[in-house]
Amino acid sequence: MTDEIMQPDAAESATGDGTDRRGFLKTTGLAALGAHLGMNIPFAGNLMALAQGMSEEDIMAGKDGLILMNDRPLNAETPAHLLDADVTPYEHFFVRNNGLVPDTALDQNAEGWTLTIDGEVDTPLELSIDDLRERFEVVTRRLVVECGGNGRAFFQPGASGNQWTTGAVGCADWTGVRLRDVLNAAGVKDSAVYTAHYGNDPHLSGDPDKNPISRGVPIEKALTEDGLIAWEMNGEPIPAIHGFPLRVIIPGYPGSASQKYLNRIWIRDQVHDGAKMTGYSYRLPAYPVAPGTEVPEEDMVIMTDMPVKSLITFPQTGSETPAGAPTEVRGHAWAGSGDIASVDVSIDFGQTWIPASLDPPKNRFAWQRFRADVTLPEAGYYEVWARATDMAGVAQPPVVPGWNPRGYGNNMQHRIAMIAT
Amino acid sequence: MTVKTIFLRAGLLAPAVLAATAALAQQAYDPMRPAANPLAPPTSAPASAAPAVETDPELGNLPVGPGAEDTYYQCVACHSTAIIRQQRLTDERWDYLWTWMIEEQGMYEPEPETTDVILTYLKTHFSSER
Repeated sequence: MTDEIMQPDAAESATGDGTDRRGFLKTTGLAALGAHLGMNIPFAGNLMALAQGMSEEDIMAGKDGLILMNDRPLNAETPAHLLDADVTPYEHFFVRNNGLVPDTALDQNAEGWTLTIDGEVDTPLELSIDDLRERFEVVTRRLVVECGGNGRAFFQPGASGNQWTTGAVGCADWTGVRLRDVLNAAGVKDSAVYTAHYGNDPHLSGDPDKNPISRGVPIEKALTEDGLIAWEMNGEPIPAIHGFPLRVIIPGYPGSASQKYLNRIWIRDQVHDGAKMTGYSYRLPAYPVAPGTEVPEEDMVIMTDMPVKSLITFPQTGSETPAGAPTEVRGHAWAGSGDIASVDVSIDFGQTWIPASLDPPKNRFAWQRFRADVTLPEAGYYEVWARATDMAGVAQPPVVPGWNPRGYGNNMQHRIAMIAT
Repeated sequence: MTVKTIFLRAGLLAPAVLAATAALAQQAYDPMRPAANPLAPPTSAPASAAPAVETDPELGNLPVGPGAEDTYYQCVACHSTAIIRQQRLTDERWDYLWTWMIEEQGMYEPEPETTDVILTYLKTHFSSER
């Protein structure tokens, strides 16, 4: 039955605004670079990459079908139908970088790399990757990483940042050691409040004293069993653009907590105030606000758990299917609160709902496969909607939830078009 | 896509032409297109309804207009124009972002006249208000 589904032209949907991705990179990224080479404006990171013969295009080599949002820094999202696999492969894993890709990552050179654990600990540690591998239990966990701003494009008025639609999410197999085990080996003091994560990626301005991003999580979250310090993604060293050689993975939280190029975790006696912890970054209003409200900075609170969400990954939106015959619709569901309780789908704009079958997660914070057979009764246009519900009974809303100044946490139901013929 | 089939049908019968056109329009419709929530009433100035603007490939495809050049050279010191071209913000959010880029992100602060030119350009072309 699924064999009869016809996919719309993939090339059309892969270039949202009609701009060819490769052409775009050449005309924008490299033209901009050329303009600046003659101007002697600080451009350290890209010049380093250029010196190695690497353009943004080279750095993104191997990525397939992604929609480029920004070429400096590199940001690209994945169309829903390319996220159908249980484990998102490298070529389809979204990219969200706040700074430039460091030389160590571009060179895949981890020689002498160390991770420092310091601050509110009994015994500060400086660990090589071999130390991590030898001293702690090595585990592989399947974990969703999702940008806090996934879905931002749907907020009105708009919110600043990349206008992600639905594709700033992926679920990979990450191999490393439990963050908890490493923190416990250092001995977390009672005075510990928050983690502070640091990497070696250069700031966009080229200022070596600035971090492009340094976020953290409450110490209680860091000490749950789910967090990892990882060096492998899908059985390979973590690729350059995803954080080589080390990355902390904080499942259930905005992806920005999962620092790439990780070289230090500072345990702090206060809430971390590093780059993009303060102001409006990854923060939500402390109370509900009308769209477009200017919320005072002191009323913004740090975003923690990501909302319950699902994505229809098959068929591709716009696909044709025979009327009157069952067709499989499938996708994934996940939540920052943990496991998913149920997923329902609708073919009549949410008037009635059909329960989908739901696979258990491989482990907590892995996304869960849902499947449903839908029968479109007569020829014409249909939409298939999906709605996930978490263990607390919280479900995805049909509309964009709570507007906020930076456009975080949009978990509105995903919809695809299906044409019955 | 069944373009060939539709073409053949279209050659046979006039009503089939209409049916084929409707089918293509349906297939091209994306219920998740990035716009205002389709379940909410339309807003006064949807971005998608704006007329196509002329862009300057020499200036990172920024829309042609007063301030485009100043904006280009100010902004691409740190990031490409791709992030600018995605925005549709309120005037207050542009003012906030400007200050944030200077205070937090190490952006060079230009003369007040240049600041005014750039902010006016950004608020004109990348706005949720106009």
